Amino acid sequence: MRIDNAYFTRRKFLNSLLGGWLGTLAVTFISPIVKFVWPPYKEPDEVKLAFADYSGMKTGEVKNFPWGNKPGLLRRAEDGSFIAWVGVCTHLDCNVSWMPDKKKFFCACHEGWYDENGTNVAGPPPKPLRRLETAVEGEDFFVRKPVPGAKA
Amino acid sequence: MKIDLKKVGAWFDDRLALTPIFKYMTKKEVPQHSHSIWYYTGSSILLFLMIQIVTGIMLALYYKPTLEGATASIGRIMTELPLGWLVRSIHSWSATFMIAFVMVHLLAIWFTKSYRKPREATWMTGMMLLVVSMVFGFTGYLLPWDDLSLSATKVGTNIPAAIPVVGKWVTQFLRGGDDVTGDTLTRFFLFHVCILPLVIFAILVVHILLVQKEGMSVPLKDEIAKKKVPALPFWPNFILREVIIWMVLLGTLLTLALVFAPSLGLPADLMAPAPEGVKPEWYFLFLFQTLKIFPANMGPVTGEFVAVVLILLAVVAIFFLPFLDNKPDKKKGKIFTWLGVLGVIYAIVFSIWSLL
Amino acid sequence: MRAIRFIILVAFAALVLSPLTAAAQAPAVPDAKAKAKLETELSKTTAAPQEAKPEVKPAAPAVPAAKKPIKKEVVRTEPIVPAFSGIKEQTAVYVFYAWLWLSIVILIYFLRLWVKEADRVYKAKYYEPEESPLKDHPLPPCLGD
Repeated sequence: MRIDNAYFTRRKFLNSLLGGWLGTLAVTFISPIVKFVWPPYKEPDEVKLAFADYSGMKTGEVKNFPWGNKPGLLRRAEDGSFIAWVGVCTHLDCNVSWMPDKKKFFCACHEGWYDENGTNVAGPPPKPLRRLETAVEGEDFFVRKPVPGAKA
Repeated sequence: MKIDLKKVGAWFDDRLALTPIFKYMTKKEVPQHSHSIWYYTGSSILLFLMIQIVTGIMLALYYKPTLEGATASIGRIMTELPLGWLVRSIHSWSATFMIAFVMVHLLAIWFTKSYRKPREATWMTGMMLLVVSMVFGFTGYLLPWDDLSLSATKVGTNIPAAIPVVGKWVTQFLRGGDDVTGDTLTRFFLFHVCILPLVIFAILVVHILLVQKEGMSVPLKDEIAKKKVPALPFWPNFILREVIIWMVLLGTLLTLALVFAPSLGLPADLMAPAPEGVKPEWYFLFLFQTLKIFPANMGPVTGEFVAVVLILLAVVAIFFLPFLDNKPDKKKGKIFTWLGVLGVIYAIVFSIWSLL
Repeated sequence: MRAIRFIILVAFAALVLSPLTAAAQAPAVPDAKAKAKLETELSKTTAAPQEAKPEVKPAAPAVPAAKKPIKKEVVRTEPIVPAFSGIKEQTAVYVFYAWLWLSIVILIYFLRLWVKEADRVYKAKYYEPEESPLKDHPLPPCLGD
């Protein structure tokens, strides 16, 4: 079929086919490199601890536990249950410490304060500390990411 | 907003004067004759160097150059990171390919006698590049810090000690002390990742500029006969052919890296005896064997001393080859060609012998 | 001359850098030390419910389980062999390689066509720099539109 004048020529079509092929080739080359350079280190979904280490906690006492690469905070509530948070400030990711005399969590980087329930009460943190769920199963003590939808 | 590429190009051109470079590339001519296939070796070396840089950076993101962390970090790269073993394999194979092509390039220049006037400096910078490439290979070989590489490094860094006067200092400089320790590892990492890249880029720039300045050489007999050799423009004709070669080489490299991926040996133990079958990388085998055949004592000096001195003399002689072979078209030239053949046979025979 | 000066400069830089590598190796153990420090600090705050309990738990067991101040004496006895991490990854890599070689074959086919065209154009002297309308055009005749 002969077209005297056309905006989209056969040449352009073939060039774009070739360009598309080369582009796909480039992407298949680049994507493993990207995956290697930015490896996905996710937080764990759950962490198993030995309950014996925590069963002796007093009311109001706060202890640390490892949550992947971050510190986790564990507090024994008045009714004997455990409350767990990710011990990382919601402002700019500094590690948070417990001030037992003030009964608050304190982030030293920009003087952020969280109360004993993890709610941000003073300073720059925009959100409360991230809550985690706890479960005791026999000798094991599990700390898990909260199931979405189920409110603690 | 439509971006007009021509306008963008013109903006850069106004400020950087790029057009002369493009014009030069179209004007530069590559002679076509029966030996012009060897012109592709140079750019192939560049291709492998670029691959080494990319894979090297990827590996260096996770490699820990300390005594405690080295093997473990490579183990982590191979097991935890996505296709980390393949990245390491490509790096290892590309090193082999690069040094192989460097040697092919050297032999091609030798046998076509392209080092004759006015290209002596190109040859000498090329020899320096050869030495730097082999040092790259040597320093890289230690970095996994497994038992084989530790022994190979102990042997390799002991060899300069045989050089008179300065030998001991050279060995101490290489090792960071009298013995191979964690300091050696960190030092070799620094050489491999920082110092040698700077050195090789510096020499490479000189080498490539010299090649452009002097133009591509033609075979000796055509030069003598003052015959006009048919030539093709560098851009686009020669570049398109080079791209074909690069793609074939890249495919071959990736396939070999997939099928014959290297494993990681046991962690090195500084106090353990040398494992059996200690040998350096293939490009050092012939030197290794040369050292082995000399007897332990030869008169007042050790056999090692004689071997090292001989090897050094040979390297220096090859460095000054354009000045030694100053009459390439006469009988002297033929002698040097045969010396080259002899050298190739020696290298191959000794390499195979060291494996037996 | 310039090359020699450059080499001397690089050698000098290497000499200057070598003490830095020794210094950089010194703090090789801050991880264990800093971890221990952090633990003592945190446990100081946790162990101070001022009800005066000398149930001290001297610091360290505040972070049980995953903390390992003791060096892991895991000595590897087997060489690490390269292997795919799963069948998905293996299939993906093999498919990629098939695609790669197919692309290489196709691209070489086109490249040979382009090479022939470029040679033909050169021989026909279409590309004479003085008279041709494509005087400053950087792309090969058949690639540029």
